[in-house]
Amino acid sequence: MRRGLTHHWRVNLAVTLAVAVCTAVLTGALLVGDSVRASLQDLTLDRLGHIDTSLVAERFFRADLAEELATLPDFADSFERVVGTILLRGNAVHAGTRTRASQINVLGIDDAFVDLFDEPTTSEIFQRQAGNRPQTMSLSPSSGQLFPSIAVNASLQRELGAEVGDQLLVHFQIGSEVPRDTLLGSRETEDVVGTIRTTLVAVVQDRGIGRFDLNPHQASPMNAFLSLNDLQAAVEQPGRVNTLLLDRGSVNNTDPQQFLKTSLHLADFGLGLRTIAGPTGTTLVEIKSEEFVIRPALMEAIEATAGDLRASTQNLQTYMSNTLQIGDRQVPYSMVLALDIKEGLQRPFGHLELLDGSAAPALAADEILLNAWTASELGASAGDELRMDYYVVGLDEQLRTEESHFRVAEIVAMSNLAVDADLTPEYPGIEGVENIADWEPPFPVDLAAIREVDEEYWDTYRGTPKSFVAAETGYRLWSTRYGATTSVRVALPTGTNITTFIPKLESMLLERLDAQDYGFRFVDIKRHGLEAAGGATDFGQLFLAFSIFLILSSLMIVSLLFTLGIERRGKEIGLLLAIGYPLSKVRRKFLAEGAAIATLGCALGLIAAVSYGSLMLWGLRTIWLAAVGSPLLYLHVLPATLVVGFAISAIAVIGSILITLRRLRRLSPTRLLAGVTRMPASTIQERQRRRWLAPVSFAVALGLLSYALAADQASNPGIAFGIGALLLTAGLAAFATWCRRPHGSLSSNRFAAIGMAVRSSSWNPNRSILSVALVASACFTIVTVAGNTRDPALDAHVIEEGAGGYELLAVADVPLHQNLNEVSGRFDLGFDAIAETQLENVRISQLRLVPGDDASCLNLYQPRRPRLLGVTDELIDRGGFRFAALSAELEANANPWELLRADLGSRVIPAIGDASSMQWILKLPIDGELTIEDGHGEPLTLRLVGTVRESIFQSELLISEANLLRYFPDRSGFSYFLIDAPAGRDLEIAALLEDWLEPFGFDVTRTADRIASFLVVQNTYLLTFQTLGGLGLLLGTIGLGIVLVRNVIERRGELATLRAFGFRRAFLSRMVLAENAFLLAIGTMIGSVSALLAIAPRFVLSAVELPWGALLPTLAAVLVVGMLASLAAMIGTLRVPLLPALKAER
Amino acid sequence: MDLQVTQLVKEFEIGDKTVSVLDGVSFNVGPGDSTAIMGPSGSGKSTVLHIIGTLEPPTGGDVRIGARNPFALSEPDMARFRNKSIGFVFQDHHLLPQYSVLENTLVPTLAFPGNAAGEARARQLLERVGLAHRLEHRPAQLSGGERQRVAIARALINRPAILLCDEPTGNLDQRSADAVAELLLELHGQESNVLVVVTHSSKLAQRFGRRLELRGGRCVEA
Repeated sequence: MRRGLTHHWRVNLAVTLAVAVCTAVLTGALLVGDSVRASLQDLTLDRLGHIDTSLVAERFFRADLAEELATLPDFADSFERVVGTILLRGNAVHAGTRTRASQINVLGIDDAFVDLFDEPTTSEIFQRQAGNRPQTMSLSPSSGQLFPSIAVNASLQRELGAEVGDQLLVHFQIGSEVPRDTLLGSRETEDVVGTIRTTLVAVVQDRGIGRFDLNPHQASPMNAFLSLNDLQAAVEQPGRVNTLLLDRGSVNNTDPQQFLKTSLHLADFGLGLRTIAGPTGTTLVEIKSEEFVIRPALMEAIEATAGDLRASTQNLQTYMSNTLQIGDRQVPYSMVLALDIKEGLQRPFGHLELLDGSAAPALAADEILLNAWTASELGASAGDELRMDYYVVGLDEQLRTEESHFRVAEIVAMSNLAVDADLTPEYPGIEGVENIADWEPPFPVDLAAIREVDEEYWDTYRGTPKSFVAAETGYRLWSTRYGATTSVRVALPTGTNITTFIPKLESMLLERLDAQDYGFRFVDIKRHGLEAAGGATDFGQLFLAFSIFLILSSLMIVSLLFTLGIERRGKEIGLLLAIGYPLSKVRRKFLAEGAAIATLGCALGLIAAVSYGSLMLWGLRTIWLAAVGSPLLYLHVLPATLVVGFAISAIAVIGSILITLRRLRRLSPTRLLAGVTRMPASTIQERQRRRWLAPVSFAVALGLLSYALAADQASNPGIAFGIGALLLTAGLAAFATWCRRPHGSLSSNRFAAIGMAVRSSSWNPNRSILSVALVASACFTIVTVAGNTRDPALDAHVIEEGAGGYELLAVADVPLHQNLNEVSGRFDLGFDAIAETQLENVRISQLRLVPGDDASCLNLYQPRRPRLLGVTDELIDRGGFRFAALSAELEANANPWELLRADLGSRVIPAIGDASSMQWILKLPIDGELTIEDGHGEPLTLRLVGTVRESIFQSELLISEANLLRYFPDRSGFSYFLIDAPAGRDLEIAALLEDWLEPFGFDVTRTADRIASFLVVQNTYLLTFQTLGGLGLLLGTIGLGIVLVRNVIERRGELATLRAFGFRRAFLSRMVLAENAFLLAIGTMIGSVSALLAIAPRFVLSAVELPWGALLPTLAAVLVVGMLASLAAMIGTLRVPLLPALKAER
Repeated sequence: MDLQVTQLVKEFEIGDKTVSVLDGVSFNVGPGDSTAIMGPSGSGKSTVLHIIGTLEPPTGGDVRIGARNPFALSEPDMARFRNKSIGFVFQDHHLLPQYSVLENTLVPTLAFPGNAAGEARARQLLERVGLAHRLEHRPAQLSGGERQRVAIARALINRPAILLCDEPTGNLDQRSADAVAELLLELHGQESNVLVVVTHSSKLAQRFGRRLELRGGRCVEA
């Protein structure tokens, strides 16, 4: 074997190099996948430091909780440390230049947080002293510094263009105990947005602590660090934090959730207990919530606990009416109490007494009791019709006045329960105020309506309710998703002592409460981050696909060269067979040689693979950066991948060699000895079997094409690819059939060379088909890729396209609670008259957003819980956008958005997503389900009922606003805005909104730019494919050259004969070139036409034009490169003296 | 048109050595005459034929065809001269496998356009060589003798003044060889051209008017 290898070293070396190229490309592609994964894991470890687990609560809680947990023995066994910190989303503005940076992390930190990261990542701020401790006060103002210190990471510094010493304004959301979308929630800008003016004291590098981010994303976050104390003061939450970060120290699976039960207090759930004296003098326990109303789940726990303790309860719901009116007499701003009157009869809670001393009756839904004072003011008596006006907060979070009509059932005496001022909880802006005129409630009050007698009532009875309705009535009129009950009174069971009862009630209540329901949820952030680093896209597979033409081309060259080697040794094979070697043994001999070559080539290829992988990663960091959005990808070589690459390449190469050797059986020893080495690729039977391939493929392709046009599946990439592949197959099969048929007669004219060339091209069908297939595949790819490259500017303004007709979209770091479409909303937000004029004819759709992972191709990590957008009823009814697919299980509707309203059963809700994100990132098919955690940590299943194409919604999943509020009730305010601006004024409107809403971090983007940012990724992938496809084509051209050289070598006798009959060299050159031009033209035509027909439906239906400007030069380049290769090969081969060919036969 | 070969010299350079194959070969053949050139392997028989056929230039000496030195012509003119004045028959027929019998016969007419009468002449020649019923067959469908008969028809398509045959029966069995030789002579008689045949076979050589032998690079009458 050694002699065989060395004697034919030239061809064997060529095969070895081709094998090496194949291995390098294949293994290199796999290495790219490894490297992206490993780089993302590195980034995860870098950004999280020692943080393994995190808890980010919706509400602030005691900072002491961290210490309390740390002191628990079992907790300390499993966790090295627990750090409390404040983590907010916000924005920063350079006080001098007004340069803005939105969507930043605002962190309130202390030493313990810094210690979570190994390296002192900045020389300026976290300088460590000799004792290896950071300077704890480094974020404290230095002497003469007016404002609190702030450190920013390099990304934020670059965005702001700030220097140390500059003043930065940092805006962030202020938490509110009372939900802002309720009557008592404040929506004033100054209550919603916190601002702190700071002095920049240091810049932290974008690594370690500087890269800290709990959300997995390869892009560097923008971080602003303040001292914990400064931020606590700024958010008006002294001694409180909203985040716990846990360091497990060593690997363990202990669930930290279990420790919360013993550490949380009722206050952490916003509940407060106190003892009050009931109307009858009995001691009662009153339970209230910081949120003003007690959430339904808490109510269930309270009632169940009271039941366990055999304690009776009384649920009270207090609401404020704007006016009580009978006829033309009114009482303004009165509390109304909804309660179960029957319970009111129970002794411990007191009861409502009528004027005659009897107990008040149970009330019907339309009945009301008035206290004697109110009845007197209204001149009311039993049976009178009363109108009550009151505020409610709509889904759009705007106050509106509603009215209800009641029949006065009875008049209640000013005694017993009716004069209990504790019935009314502490109303923000009202409680403790001396006069009604001094009220500053979070809703508008017409102080002019307040009369002297009202002030007198206030002086005597404070907020004691003036009217009473049935509990059911109160629930129906005034309940919100946060609940209805404003307080619960608990009566002590007989024989119980208050000092023992309250602790018992507390502990039993805490036992019942699930911390997860209230946002106290630990997440294994590092484990999830490392899992997500697996990536939404397998770059190994992606680059394998991108490199497929390179791999196939190199395999084709391996096969061609190996075949050439075998053919050159045809006589040797013939001799071996003639002297009695069995064919199997001959095959084994050549297979062994092939295997040796493959092994050597694969080994060389592995070395080259590292270079190829490095080159691809360099490409991803530079020319294809837009596809990955991070320059932090580095080569990671995993030995297992090298083994896999080696094995796959060796199998592919040896498989290709085996196919070549199989064909040996078709050659008899005598033919081989006579020098006949050309191997027939197929037998007659095989050719007959393939006869039907062309018409059948063509017919199926036409069928698919018709279906695509008829069923609006023009943009379905699977169908388009199917059509293309079938047409390509049909074209190649038709060409193969043509090759095997006789062709027209030759004629002695000026086109004789072309006629002879066409005839010659059909003579060796295998090689001709191979050449045509190669060129056709390359052209198919080029045209298909060009057809998929999109120009977002084409369809940004069309309502039925990806931007839905919205020119702008905006995201706010701090949710807005006003309606930007209404003058009052804009007035509340401070817009002036000029801005009002400018905003005429601007329509804004406001959406709620549940934060989550970016589900778009801009995020390399695999999203676990995608960002959710609540689609309002208005938007559902409006329709728009372009749907790619809809669930077949649901009834087809003219407006597909209405699918979001479908009832899919318990805890299953419909969702719509962007087709690309669903297919490539979340890998969620239509009717596929994705289970996430809802706002209470309970599993919630999203079922994909539709996808929109090339939309602005690549980062989010869309659900109905109703479902969003149902399962994420804490999501008050609007953070996502779709803006319909008058034509040509989009930039003006964007600047205006950003200026006026600067504190909210209102960041406006042109939808065209947004789509472009997605398309740039897609287009970059296509560019990558084109580039690697181009390399493959180049390699394929070398293959074409080899085919040509082989043809000319094989046809030397023919060419020599023609020369002997007076054919000039120029004639023969023209003939050989024409032959290759013919093959190139046929290949280009088959490939291009197949691709054009495959993508035609999409272009026909969407009136989008193919980028001919880029496409035609590329196709021309293919032809030119092919012809140049042919020319080079032809010149080389025609230089070979032909005369020996005539002599050689001797 | 006669053929005059005078003091023909041909040397080949192999590595850094010069090997002399022909060393002053001279002979003349008149129109309508036939000559066989014999000699052992490596004596330069085919080289003489290739030089006469202008496929290879001589190192020295002179070749005149009809008093014309073809090597004085430019490459295009020499190709045209070869096409019009010289016909070749090789030991291996060198038929083009992709063409039919008729097309193979027509191939020389394609080198220079304008030979409208080519097909009629081809049919006539193929009839004369006994292959009128095989016009559309491919070479692979013919026997060795038949292939060589097609090659002879092809060589005569342009009515060449000189017909050069290089071992025309070398690959054939005796019966086929005899038939081909008979045909060659018959057509030579009809076409009145200069016929030069290179052969190992003394039996074949006997059938031609004159026999020359190459020895030591020189040509002598056998």
